[in-house]
Amino acid sequence: MPLRFLRDAPIRLKLVLLVLLATGGALVVASIVLIIFDFVRFKSDMEKDVTALAEIVARNSTAALSFNDEQAAAETLSGLQAVTSIEAAAVYGRQGELFARFVRPGSAPAIPLRPGEDKATFTEDALVVFRQVVLKGERIGTVYLRNDLREMVGHIKLQAVTVGAVFLLSGVTALLLSSGLQRVISQPILHLADTARSVSDRKDYSIRAEVRSGDELGRLVEAFNEMLMQIQERDSELQRAKGELERRVQERTLELERRNEELHQSNKELDDFAYIASHDLKEPLRGIHNFSTFLLEDYADKLDEDGSAKLETLTRLTRRMETLIDSLLHFSRLGRVDLAIDRVGLNGIVAEVVDSLGINLKEAGVEVRVPRPLPAVRADRARVGEIFHNLIINAMKYNDKAEKWIEIGYQEDRQGAPPVFYVRDNGIGIPEKHFDAVFRIFKRLHGRDKFGGGTGAGLTIVKKIVERHNGRIWVESAHGLGTTFYFTLERGDERK
Amino acid sequence: MAFLKNRALGLVAAILLFCSLLTGLPGEALAQPEASESDVKAAFLYNFTKFVEWPPAAFQDASSSFRLCVLSDEAFSRSLQAVVEGQEVAGRKLTLLRLGSSHDSKSCNLLFIGRPEHERIAEILASMAGSRALVVGESTGFLKQGGMINFHLQGGKVRFEVNLKAAEGEGLKISSKLLRLATRVL
Repeated sequence: MPLRFLRDAPIRLKLVLLVLLATGGALVVASIVLIIFDFVRFKSDMEKDVTALAEIVARNSTAALSFNDEQAAAETLSGLQAVTSIEAAAVYGRQGELFARFVRPGSAPAIPLRPGEDKATFTEDALVVFRQVVLKGERIGTVYLRNDLREMVGHIKLQAVTVGAVFLLSGVTALLLSSGLQRVISQPILHLADTARSVSDRKDYSIRAEVRSGDELGRLVEAFNEMLMQIQERDSELQRAKGELERRVQERTLELERRNEELHQSNKELDDFAYIASHDLKEPLRGIHNFSTFLLEDYADKLDEDGSAKLETLTRLTRRMETLIDSLLHFSRLGRVDLAIDRVGLNGIVAEVVDSLGINLKEAGVEVRVPRPLPAVRADRARVGEIFHNLIINAMKYNDKAEKWIEIGYQEDRQGAPPVFYVRDNGIGIPEKHFDAVFRIFKRLHGRDKFGGGTGAGLTIVKKIVERHNGRIWVESAHGLGTTFYFTLERGDERK
Repeated sequence: MAFLKNRALGLVAAILLFCSLLTGLPGEALAQPEASESDVKAAFLYNFTKFVEWPPAAFQDASSSFRLCVLSDEAFSRSLQAVVEGQEVAGRKLTLLRLGSSHDSKSCNLLFIGRPEHERIAEILASMAGSRALVVGESTGFLKQGGMINFHLQGGKVRFEVNLKAAEGEGLKISSKLLRLATRVL
């Protein structure tokens, strides 16, 4: 948590902390070293001082010891009253017997009965010094001094207070200084960060950061500005290219729309032409037909057999021409009328068509199979009926087998793709080279009267209807075995 | 700190010295030492040699021994003999001489005149003039007669008084430490 806080802390705070920690760390080390050094020096000074004091006492005690004058020795010791740190003192005689003593009023240290070795010893709460008394090279006694460590403790306390004060003062100074000085580093970085943010917020690459120093930060800002300049250039290039592209797309779109419009227009004109032409053609044709009928009826007795036969042929041909023109009219109408798209159940449609062709199917001896129920599609109901009508007639006609059948079904290749419907027969089949030709208008592969005749417009009409429903139609066939027509229609959504 | 301490120490030393120089000794009674009076006096007599400086003229030459002369009874001589056996004074061999009344005492460096001789003190002292010897006695009025150090008993303890002028008159220097212990200094 503290580490995380440090990581996410603002750079200003980090810099200030850095300075404070570095200063504090250095101060701690310096203080510890100073305190230790001072403590050691203080101890050694104290030892020296007390030993010197013991020596003075020793020298002043020679006569008293020599002449057995305890009073004088005690007098000498009482002079130690002035040294407040001396708790107790004693003089021992030549044989180590206690000769004179001094105990500071208020303290009650035990004075050793016998002198110890000549040396200074730090005990828990005092410095104890034994010093020999020598007169003319002869040891005549020992001096004992006990110096309490209150002064040292006080000194250490004072040191601690001093160090604490120095710590506090220098900490405050470091804080003030670093708070001011950190700006030298943090300002350019913050400025850079602000600039970067406003660039990314406003997507304005013309903004530049201000170079305020010649150091690494200054170079960083320069590099940043350089990058911004490059981005700005690329951005403007990109904008130009984008504009160009948009302009071109617009041009192409306009052109396409124009072409499409033209195509639409020419298609319409073609359909109109076919309609008008066929409509206008019908009237004189009806006249020819009527008059040839009149001729046959009114002048039958005046015509010989050959003449009658020729007139009958004329009548038949006009009837045929009328059928052709009707087909053409129907075909052209398919391109002109709007489709009434709706959800259409194919089961009903197929049943109706099969019903309407019932007699013909029976005569031809063809069985119609629907292996499984068909789905619903989105389509024009009448036109879809036409599709099945034409395909069933087509399949019924071109069959030379003894047991004739037609199968109507569908397959779904994958989810979402429109279903593929098929109408299959076991008829004569179509050679592969004619797969395209069968859909051409008035194109017949067989003689006019073979396989029941017909105008040759049925499959063309089917193709037109399927394509107007945005579907596809194609044929597969094995010559002599049968033909299958496939077409796609959009599936009718159950919910609509 | 150390500086202050040193100063304090110096001050204390000065005070100690001052005290040791000026403080008179009231001489209250202390426990009687176990040793006999003559043993104590013998030890004191020898110890005086450590606090008194003789002029070079007091000796014939550098190799001359230090002559400690006694005019007293046999017992004291034995006590003194025990104390000074094999001792030296200021690098000189110590020679103990027990003087008869006829002996020349002028060659002595330290002369002890015991109580048995107190009748002759004036005479002996007169003969010692110019001998540069420290003359010690144990009789009342010894200093008035010209003696230098005189033993006396105070509260059952052996103490001494000093006639500094007499000693200085013979060129002797008596240590202030010794003077400090004297019950009286003339």
